[in-house]
Amino acid sequence: MTPDLKGIVIIVGNYGSGKTEVAINLAVASHAEGVAGVRIADLDLVNPYFRTREARHQLHRLGIDVVLPPEKYLHADLPILSPDVAGMIKQPGPLNILDVGGDHVGANVLAAVADAFGDKPPQMLQVVNPYRPFTETVAGCMKIRREIEAAAKLDMTGIVGNANLIDETDVNVIYEGHRFVQRFSRESGLPVAFVTADVGLMTDLDPDRLACPVLPIRRQLVPPWGRSANLAAG
Amino acid sequence: MGKVLMKGNEAIGEAAIRAGCLNYFAYPITPQSEVAEYLSRRLPEAGGVFLQGESEVAVSYMIFGAAAAGARIFTTSSSPGISLMCEGISYIAAAQCPAVFVNIMRGGPGLGGILPSQADYFQATKGGGHGDYRMLVMAPASVQEAVEMVMTAFPLAEKYRNPVMILGDGLIGQMMEPVEFPDDLRSEPSNKDDWATNGMDTRRSDKRNLVKSLFLDPDQLNRNNLALKAKYDRMNREEVRYETYHMDLDYRVLIVSYGTMSRVCRTAIDNLAEEGIDVGMIRPQTLFPFPVQQVHDAAQKQSCVHVASIEMSMGQMVEDVQRALQGVKPVSWYGKCGGDVPTPEEIMEFVRTLL
Repeated sequence: MTPDLKGIVIIVGNYGSGKTEVAINLAVASHAEGVAGVRIADLDLVNPYFRTREARHQLHRLGIDVVLPPEKYLHADLPILSPDVAGMIKQPGPLNILDVGGDHVGANVLAAVADAFGDKPPQMLQVVNPYRPFTETVAGCMKIRREIEAAAKLDMTGIVGNANLIDETDVNVIYEGHRFVQRFSRESGLPVAFVTADVGLMTDLDPDRLACPVLPIRRQLVPPWGRSANLAAG
Repeated sequence: MGKVLMKGNEAIGEAAIRAGCLNYFAYPITPQSEVAEYLSRRLPEAGGVFLQGESEVAVSYMIFGAAAAGARIFTTSSSPGISLMCEGISYIAAAQCPAVFVNIMRGGPGLGGILPSQADYFQATKGGGHGDYRMLVMAPASVQEAVEMVMTAFPLAEKYRNPVMILGDGLIGQMMEPVEFPDDLRSEPSNKDDWATNGMDTRRSDKRNLVKSLFLDPDQLNRNNLALKAKYDRMNREEVRYETYHMDLDYRVLIVSYGTMSRVCRTAIDNLAEEGIDVGMIRPQTLFPFPVQQVHDAAQKQSCVHVASIEMSMGQMVEDVQRALQGVKPVSWYGKCGGDVPTPEEIMEFVRTLL
């Protein structure tokens, strides 16, 4: 069961929670499920490396529209926001994914485009990896939720469980992470939109142990000695 | 505590706390700002102090002051910021105070760019600031190793009463890897009562400690420089650290590479082995002291026809490789320094041209 999302979906979360991998792979999975007109915008003004823009060529080849600052500013010391983002929000396609920078600092950018949302509140999903500092407790996740909502001037609408230790992830990490986001869900009242699992673990996962959709992750943000996964596979 | 997923910059901050360093003064710069971001949250929780200086010059003297008073202290910055700190580092070395400096290198010279680089090798190992001083320089190749080196850096700085530098490229700061920390605080007792200006009452002593870098009497200045030299000679004898890869094979080419660059080289070496080309590697973990003898001995192997220094700079470490070899084998340099890291394929292509 893959996630079924439409309209404007904003991906937020604490620094390093895995928002960009989630955003890229959600775009690809939705495109593969037949959603025509998937667009993804890189709003990360916080991270200097490892951003959505690293996967732009693969996404373009699949026919997914990537909204980015002009090429010559891609490695600017002070990252900039493309004016095309407001246009995308005002005239959304079937699925519009906004990949936002980490923490409330990264979410500040949403207040800058708030007018474009008009009176239609978008979906805003909080990505949680309980193996990251500051979100290893539900209280930590609740604090980050409050800070992001205040900075973005938007309400959180769901949770994405992204438990992983990159190459050292096994199915138990996924099950543990799933239990963790269920606890966060109970205490926050937010539904779990989906959890993620590396595509290599999908066959080992018991779907009966996961009470929500699972987004397979083909890892894109890899160091220079690794190789990013082929987004077109499967 | 089990494994956690951390950015190198965050892990460096946490490692300092676990090493008993609760004082951190810094000024933000890409790509190391996450250390300050992380410690601004964590240090107050741990009962420590984070102070942002008004510039890197100011920070270097805040470090000097804290170190002179016997506090365990460190800072982090990136290339242009370290240039500004070099004056203070020279004073700290002259006054024989312990402090830890972390440089998460970005492209230079000048403002350069924000992507990874190893172009501050000369600055770290051959001076940077003025005068006859050295820093003990360690270069991590993974986030876990960055943690271990930071934790080792504090006792080493105190043992030698000298600045220690962790030299990481931008990738070390920015990439995320699973890491483990020791559960207990590994805070070794300091030798500060012997030299720090921490108060005669505090240390219950009637001996005054004086910290200074000004020696107007030529004999005194010469004696101070001889004392520093004796420490650097001892580092050369006792502190060399390195790792080897595929050295048991009859390698035709010996690569010398450090930091994350060495991980790209590992991939290239594995791929070349499948083609039937055996390549060995020495990865210096300390850049000063440089593993001079080890590189020299490894190049002497009968099968080895060429030595290659592969670095994210325009050829800096290659001078130490040449110094180590004393002309016994030909030495080449390969590298890039615009922010793009050489790929395994580019390194393989370069190695093939040596044969």
